[in-house]
Parts: sequence; structure tokens; C-alpha cells
Amino acid sequence: MSRENSYVSIRDVGKVYPSPHGEVTALEDINLDIHNHEFVSLLGPSGCGKSTLLKCLAGLEKATKGEILIQDQPVVGPPDDMGVVFQRDILLDWRNILDNVLLITEFRRLDRSKYEDKARALLGRFGLQGFENRHPWELSGGMRQRASICRALLDDPELLLMDEPFGALDAMTRDDLNLELARLWQDTQKTVLFITHSIPEAVFLSDRVVVMSRNPGRIDEVLQVDLPRPRHLSVRESPEFGAYVSHLRQRFAQLGIVHGD
Amino acid sequence: MDWIRKNDKLISVVAVLVVTVLVWEVLCWYFEARDFILPAPSRIIMEWAEAPGYFLKHAGYTLMTTLVGFALAVVLGVAMAVGIVHSVFLDRTLYTLLVALNSVPKVALAPLFVIWMGTGSEPKIAIALMIAIFSIVIDTVLGLRSADSDMINMARAARASKLQILMKIRFPMALASMFAGMKVGISFALIGAIVGEFVAGETGLGHVILLSQGMFDTPRAFVAIVILGIMGTLLFYMVEVAERILLPWHVSQRSAHTH
Repeated sequence: MSRENSYVSIRDVGKVYPSPHGEVTALEDINLDIHNHEFVSLLGPSGCGKSTLLKCLAGLEKATKGEILIQDQPVVGPPDDMGVVFQRDILLDWRNILDNVLLITEFRRLDRSKYEDKARALLGRFGLQGFENRHPWELSGGMRQRASICRALLDDPELLLMDEPFGALDAMTRDDLNLELARLWQDTQKTVLFITHSIPEAVFLSDRVVVMSRNPGRIDEVLQVDLPRPRHLSVRESPEFGAYVSHLRQRFAQLGIVHGD
Repeated sequence: MDWIRKNDKLISVVAVLVVTVLVWEVLCWYFEARDFILPAPSRIIMEWAEAPGYFLKHAGYTLMTTLVGFALAVVLGVAMAVGIVHSVFLDRTLYTLLVALNSVPKVALAPLFVIWMGTGSEPKIAIALMIAIFSIVIDTVLGLRSADSDMINMARAARASKLQILMKIRFPMALASMFAGMKVGISFALIGAIVGEFVAGETGLGHVILLSQGMFDTPRAFVAIVILGIMGTLLFYMVEVAERILLPWHVSQRSAHTH
């Protein structure tokens, strides 16, 4: 974990919110390095500050302590080379799918015509060809979330932040999207920070799983996942996979976190 | 049968109107009501047919006043709302003042506008504007403020500027609320125009009603009232049609598109 090859470097980060009942500590002593091309999951119960950490990293909120570096540059606002996928797809209902994916070309004043083919290719990759001119409300939840992933990937960002992107989907769609995301990572080798409260999902996707505890949000353990890649859904039946999952379950039980998955 | 089922709303509206008019006609005839108390519908139609040009001229004037007042209310109202949403200072001063002023019966201020602006069309437009603007400002502020915070975060993460967020996220999201304000506003603008014509001037349907009252010419007053009813309905639907064209994605409009 040398600092040289880390893409993201989180140093002593803390976040304190003012509230009517005094200060609330959302994050405390967070230290984490994410390497180039690494897939890291933040795993924890709700209220452990994992979303807050993602927002600080995305430059949407400021940490009250410590610093966050991306390629050795401190994060002061939303970085250039980053895509974010949120829990809700938050597509704009008044735009068709293609125009939703192309949204950032307008924000960043990029030449739309240069990105249109790319947007179509991305939509094709995620099984949405033929839906370019449909509106978000005509699509299922899984298709909408696929479109929002395309939107985040349009400018081919090096860093991809995902905040419980599949939390609202049904189990089968979720399996599908886990597999598609694993393939995407295999092909593009992006640096990914993925937030989830599903243990199997974290183990299936990640190189490392960061276990977070709550009150205040801290890093409890970092688990290296050495399952062979590329991974298929069948890896979930392997004993190694089971061992990782059961280790993490026990960890959460020891932390006193009732974990319904 | 199919045609009836498809247009059942329209048919019931027409049926209610026709029956009302018929009952009115029959009652006037049965009780031998005198014209200056309550003219029968047939009498009102005759009155209208006798001088269509006269009514057209006055209706045109009222319509013009209403539309200009409403258009100004939309432009000014939306500009004020944007200012209020983006500036704490304007929120504390202008918005507070507007809400306070809104509790004054604005019709009571109408005579003052004649003192300030004379008896031309300016005071009428100003009164229409003043009455219409409140609902537009208040609903636009509400709409702009209720923008989804996740959506704003998404745009910020994609490095959108404040202006881009306003134009591409906040405005489209506020449109439904803005149209609710405009639907109230257009009816209020018509009220404002009529009040303006009551207070001073020689043109407009408000003036026609006032003049007819002075001469006990009730049928003529009724023609003006009927025209106002038609005008008010058409103006309201004009805003609603604009809403349908501009907001095809909105939940309240969606059924027509998905089926």
C-alpha cells in the first residue's frame, strides 16, 4: 500500500455535522488508499457514514478533518476524471435516454456529436439499444439504473464512485447488474469505489472489502478478496466465496450490528 | 357507443350547460320575469346578435389588458422567484414583503392605480399584473426550492455550473408548480382587468357592465358576463394546453402517453 501507486488517498478524514442536539460525528479517523484499477467496496450498515465518505471524495461535501488526495491533488470540488452512480437512477424525466446519457456534454461544453456514438455504444453494451429515444418513465428500474451507469461512464472517467447503485433493485436484476459491472471492470480496469450493505455483492465484485462500523463511522477491517478473475455468478457457490462471506458476517455480529441482508 | 365513452366528460359538460339554459328559459317564461330583473337566455342571445361589433370591441380590450397583465406577471414573477431562491437577502426582504402584501385585498388598491396612472389601459394592466403575480411568484419559488437534492448532487458531481443547474434541472422540475401558479394567475388577471375597468375608463366589458347597470339594461350586462365566462374558460385552457405541450413527462399528464 505504498502511496506512490494509490489513485485515491484518504488521510485521517473526519466529518462532524452540527445538529440541534450537539455535534454528530459521522466519520472518524478514516485512512484508506485505493490503488489504480482497483475495485474497493465500502461495506457497512446504514448510518456508518459510507455515503458521507463518498460525498467527500466526490467533492460534494467537505471533510472537517484530514485530507483526500486524488492522484496527489487535494479534492476541493468535484474532480474532472470521475463518474458517480447514485442509489436512485435520477434520470431527468423530460429527456430521452440518449439525451440523459449525453447530459454532461452540456455541463462541460463538450462537442455533442463526438460523444453521440459513444453514448449509443455504451447503451448497446448495457442492453439498451433501441431505447435511446424512450423516456425514463417508460423503462424498468433495472434499465433506468443501467442508463444512469452509462451516463456516469460517458467521458470514460478513471474513477467510478457508486453509492449503493443496486440497492433498490430486485434480486434477479441485481445479479444481472453485478455481472455486467464485473465484466465492465474486467474490460476497462477502472478504479472503483463501491458502496453496499450486501456482503455477497461486496465479495463478488471487489478486490478489497472495507468493513465500516457505526457511531461513529470508522474502518473496522480491510479484507483482501483473492477470488480468481474474471468472476462468474457461479463463484458464489465456491467454498472460498462462502468463507469470505461467513467471515464478514461474523465480523458484523461481533460489532453488534444486526445484519439483515 | 365508443364515441360516447371516449368523450364522456365533454358530453356531460355540454349536457349540464344545455339543461341549465333550458331550465332558466322555462322559469323566466313561466314566472314572466321582467328583462331588467333576469333576462331569459333567448333575450341575452338576441341582445348579443343586435350589436356583435360593440361587444367584440369591448371584449377585445379586456382580453388585451388581461393577456398583457398576465404576460408581465409571468416574466416579472419568475424573475423575482429566481432572485428569491438564489439570494438570502431577497428572500428575507422581497419574499417577506410579497407574502405580507398578499394578505391585503388587492382589489382595495385599485382606485389608487387610477390616481397614479390615469384612466388609460396602464392602470388596468397594472391591476391585472398585481393580482396575478402573487400566485406565480409563490408557486415558482416553491417549485424551484423543491428540486430533488440527489439530482442537484448528480449535476454538481458532473461539474455543472449554478446557472446550468438552474436552467437544466431546477426550471424543468419547477414547471409543474409554475403552471399551477399560472392557472390561478390567468383567472386572477381577468378579475384584475375587470376591476380596473370598474374603477375608471370608457372601454372593456367591465365598463359595459357598469354602464348597463346605470341604465337598467340587464340583458346587455348579461351578454358581457357570458362573454367573460367564455373568455375565462378559454384563457384557463390556453394555459393548460401549454402545460400539456411543455410537460409531457409529468406524472399528472403521463397516462395519455403511455397507453
